[in-house]
Amino acid sequence: MLQLVGRRLLLLIPTLILVTFGVFMLITLVPGDPATTLAGGENATPEQIEKVRTQLGLDDPLVVQYGRWVSDAVRLDFGESLTSGQDVTSEIQRRLPVTLSIVVGSIVIGLLIGIPLGLLAGARQGGWIDRFLLALTSIGLAIPNFVLAILFINVFAVNLGWVNPIGFDNLVGEDGLQPGAWLKSLALPALALGIGVAARLARQVRTGVVDTMNEPYIRTAWAKGCSPRTVVGKHVFKNAAMPTVTVAGLLIGGLIGGTVIIESIFSANGVGQYLVNGINAGDLPVIQGVVVMFVLAFAIINIAVDIMYGWLNPKVQVS
Amino acid sequence: MTDSDLNHSAVPDPAMMEPAIADHLQEESTSQMLAEALAKPNRSTSHWRRAARRFVRDPLPMAALTFLILLVGLALFAPLVTTHEPNHQILQDRFSGMSTDHWLGTDNLGRDTWSRLIYGARISLLITLSVGFFAVILAVPIGLLSGFYSGKFDVAIMRLTDAMLSVPPLVLALAIAGILGPGTRNLIIALTVMMVPGLVRLVRGQALAAREEMYIDASRSIGTPARVIVFRRVLPHVVSPLLVQVSIVLGTILVVEASLSYLGLGDPPPDPTWGNMLQDGFKQMANDARLILVPAIAIGLATLAFNVVGDGVRDALYGTGVARRRRSDILGTTGTMFGLKSIKPDLDVLERISDPDAETQTEAETADDGRVEKADVAARANGATRVHAQAASAPWSEPNDPATVLKIRDLSLEFETNNGMVEVLDKVNLEVRRGEILGLVGESGCGKTVTSQSILRLLPTPPARITGGEILFEGRDVLRMSAKELQSIRGREISMIFQDPMASLNPAYTIGNQIVEAQRIHRDVSKAAAETRAEELLDLVGIPDARDRLDDYPHMFSGGMRQRALIAMALANDPKLLIADEPTTALDVTVQAQIIELISRLREEFSMSVLFVTHDLGVVQDLCDRVAVMYAGQVVETASAAQVFTAPQHPYTSALLRSRPTIGAEIGHLPSIAGLVPTAANMPEGCRFHTRCDFATDACTATAVPILRIGSDQAVRCIRHGEIDLSQHPDERPDLEVARP
Repeated sequence: MLQLVGRRLLLLIPTLILVTFGVFMLITLVPGDPATTLAGGENATPEQIEKVRTQLGLDDPLVVQYGRWVSDAVRLDFGESLTSGQDVTSEIQRRLPVTLSIVVGSIVIGLLIGIPLGLLAGARQGGWIDRFLLALTSIGLAIPNFVLAILFINVFAVNLGWVNPIGFDNLVGEDGLQPGAWLKSLALPALALGIGVAARLARQVRTGVVDTMNEPYIRTAWAKGCSPRTVVGKHVFKNAAMPTVTVAGLLIGGLIGGTVIIESIFSANGVGQYLVNGINAGDLPVIQGVVVMFVLAFAIINIAVDIMYGWLNPKVQVS
Repeated sequence: MTDSDLNHSAVPDPAMMEPAIADHLQEESTSQMLAEALAKPNRSTSHWRRAARRFVRDPLPMAALTFLILLVGLALFAPLVTTHEPNHQILQDRFSGMSTDHWLGTDNLGRDTWSRLIYGARISLLITLSVGFFAVILAVPIGLLSGFYSGKFDVAIMRLTDAMLSVPPLVLALAIAGILGPGTRNLIIALTVMMVPGLVRLVRGQALAAREEMYIDASRSIGTPARVIVFRRVLPHVVSPLLVQVSIVLGTILVVEASLSYLGLGDPPPDPTWGNMLQDGFKQMANDARLILVPAIAIGLATLAFNVVGDGVRDALYGTGVARRRRSDILGTTGTMFGLKSIKPDLDVLERISDPDAETQTEAETADDGRVEKADVAARANGATRVHAQAASAPWSEPNDPATVLKIRDLSLEFETNNGMVEVLDKVNLEVRRGEILGLVGESGCGKTVTSQSILRLLPTPPARITGGEILFEGRDVLRMSAKELQSIRGREISMIFQDPMASLNPAYTIGNQIVEAQRIHRDVSKAAAETRAEELLDLVGIPDARDRLDDYPHMFSGGMRQRALIAMALANDPKLLIADEPTTALDVTVQAQIIELISRLREEFSMSVLFVTHDLGVVQDLCDRVAVMYAGQVVETASAAQVFTAPQHPYTSALLRSRPTIGAEIGHLPSIAGLVPTAANMPEGCRFHTRCDFATDACTATAVPILRIGSDQAVRCIRHGEIDLSQHPDERPDLEVARP
């Protein structure tokens, strides 16, 4: 198992080198003169343009710029924001709890709804419950999370007034723990993001269950006298979970993207909204920093998924 | 394949022949092989036609496709189907509701919502479809080249796509679109970059797989240029998975496009994009929810339509998952949870018949369609006319005879197929006595596995449906048991082992866990005690180092070891009856013998009865006390093993015996019974064996043959029994030539 993790971490290195190179090269995509554009375009004063030019070292050859940028980046130093002048890394750190809450919250909702529904549909394959859930998950997959978020705000915040439509209260606030306020501000974003996850998971689990139900070892479990609960909950579940876990990486990649737009809709001050603000302001260091951090998080999650797969599938451990 | 194979085997060693002839022969077989191989992609024409037909027949994807075509039409002819300019502000008409003038009302600036929606569809569909197009145009050549020429180019492409795929897709698109600045063109670039790496990987994988195929090698060996191979031979392989993938991701592109344009990265306001409409509606939400709902519903419906079309394309090209599973179910190799429940409705017939009030009706029914089996069931259920029922079927003992463990009476079973219900078992009668091993033999497809699996009700219903009869275990009818009762019998009183030991243990749990579970389902034993017992059991079935092997997973066991473990598990609760469904078929010969010996020994030690299903008469001779022979869903002969092997009474039994390979027999003459077991759907009239029987006369084809009791312990289903002498078999009759290889 350790070997597996080690190998995956090693494989990560060339990928990260390429990703950081790509992220750095984003500057070449900036239209026109980078310094002028990044300083705010035609309205920028010569002083502002000059400031950007020195801060990013744009006069140096590209190779030198890259060397400087990447040697900082490995220490997770992405420089300072062009607009606010604040350190990008500490800004990301400050906003991380919001993003983590939303991502984890939506995963929890996805698992809590998606797995039972998938098991139910798979165990009742072809029945009316299965057909109903198929229709339901189709709808769940078709409504984009940001549309759902807007509808939720309209119904629960504006019309019913149950929650605050904007802003986000962290679990640890200025006056200590505030789980109530945290959950209240977490509920809608996590639900908006989690419903799509639930639908996808339910589909995947259903397929896994249907395939597994036809396996001879499930017949053995019936022949042993297992109750339907044991057959589905024990014998089918662990095997059906395997193909589900392999798509988990994909799902989480979608979630990271999703949180960007969800945060900006709920005005939750997380890493995602930081990225959107950075994009709107043409704040290159912010964009670079957030993208690298997201890639890193995504890679770590994928390794965690591999470990989980190893736990589910005993064949992986020996090979 | 077969042609070229035959050709190869027909060609004697070329070195032995005149060189010219040898060359000629070889050339011919190679060119034939080539012709066949090269013909393969051409078959895809009918493949496409079939897929298209399947797609058109599927109502849901067709409806979705129609919707999308309609949407494209509306978008194309936007100026014709709208009455207002999308950006024309009529300030006195702000927030007007739906009317004949403004079909979907107006927004906060008095702009016509319907018009903005249709013009918005133009942009959304343009972006979605062009991203799909450009992504394919880029991904196909890159993927093909990468897959076809491995080496540095391939490595570089793989690394690059790895890196791109390691960025969460929306973040990638967002970063690129954000740096490039807002606008439709930049969105298309960003989304295309996001889609390409996944498609490249797909095309590369297919190209790699296609490269391995024979006909590519063949075509390369005759000097076809690589370029031609790639585009003429490899590309067709790539097309259908690519088509599926693209049609599935179009929905995703639409959603990401809407997200990005909502974030302000599409055409800037006031241009009517769906994202901009949503953004505007969000700001005006407190005033008029309609302004959110219209774009939200449009985005949802379009995504749904793309997804449904995508699923439809996949199903059409690869066949629906449901249909495929159905077919495998019919093979009778599966067990579903419905085994516990939905058998009940099938017993409605029985319930109704056993109800005294319904009796007259049943009799009327019987008279009408002359179905004797219902009369039998009715008679038996009433109890009063049991004598009559016994005369009709051929039971040997009273239902509650303590010497009998299992008694199957007149079990009839049907399978649901695409062509309606077909009868698989026809009034099967069997009994297993205490302590004996009954061999159930017959060729493949004669119903022996179905019979054995129906005892514990392991057949999935549907497609299986029991239409009559009873399965009495110690006098209790398994078919009438509640789910709870059935569970308490399964694995406790009746255990079962199966044909495929490799797949019959759960790969995700240790052997020990599975044996412990078997005990703790049925008995209140501590985990420690169950583990000790599991160790004893493994030891008993001859697995060395039992203690250590409890923690092993099934994949660490060989096939023979797995069957031993399964036997250990089956014995965990001292069952009264062990059903062994061809337990040695999948094992090699030496292991087979060990398993047979093990079962024989354990039968003594556990003083249990065994129902041993097999097609191997050698096994029967070694192991069984009595034998039941099945043919085409019927029991055709039952007798003691000694009787069967010395004096078979049914022509089928005798033919089976003669078709056993014997050591020292003439080489090259492997005897077998000519013809095939008739399928359930094409059952011959009269005696079911008459089509293959050496002794058949006209009388045999006339009416169905009942089973006759011919001795204290023997029964046979043959009207010519007594008049034919099976020992004088017309082996040399030229018209009944046995099959030769």
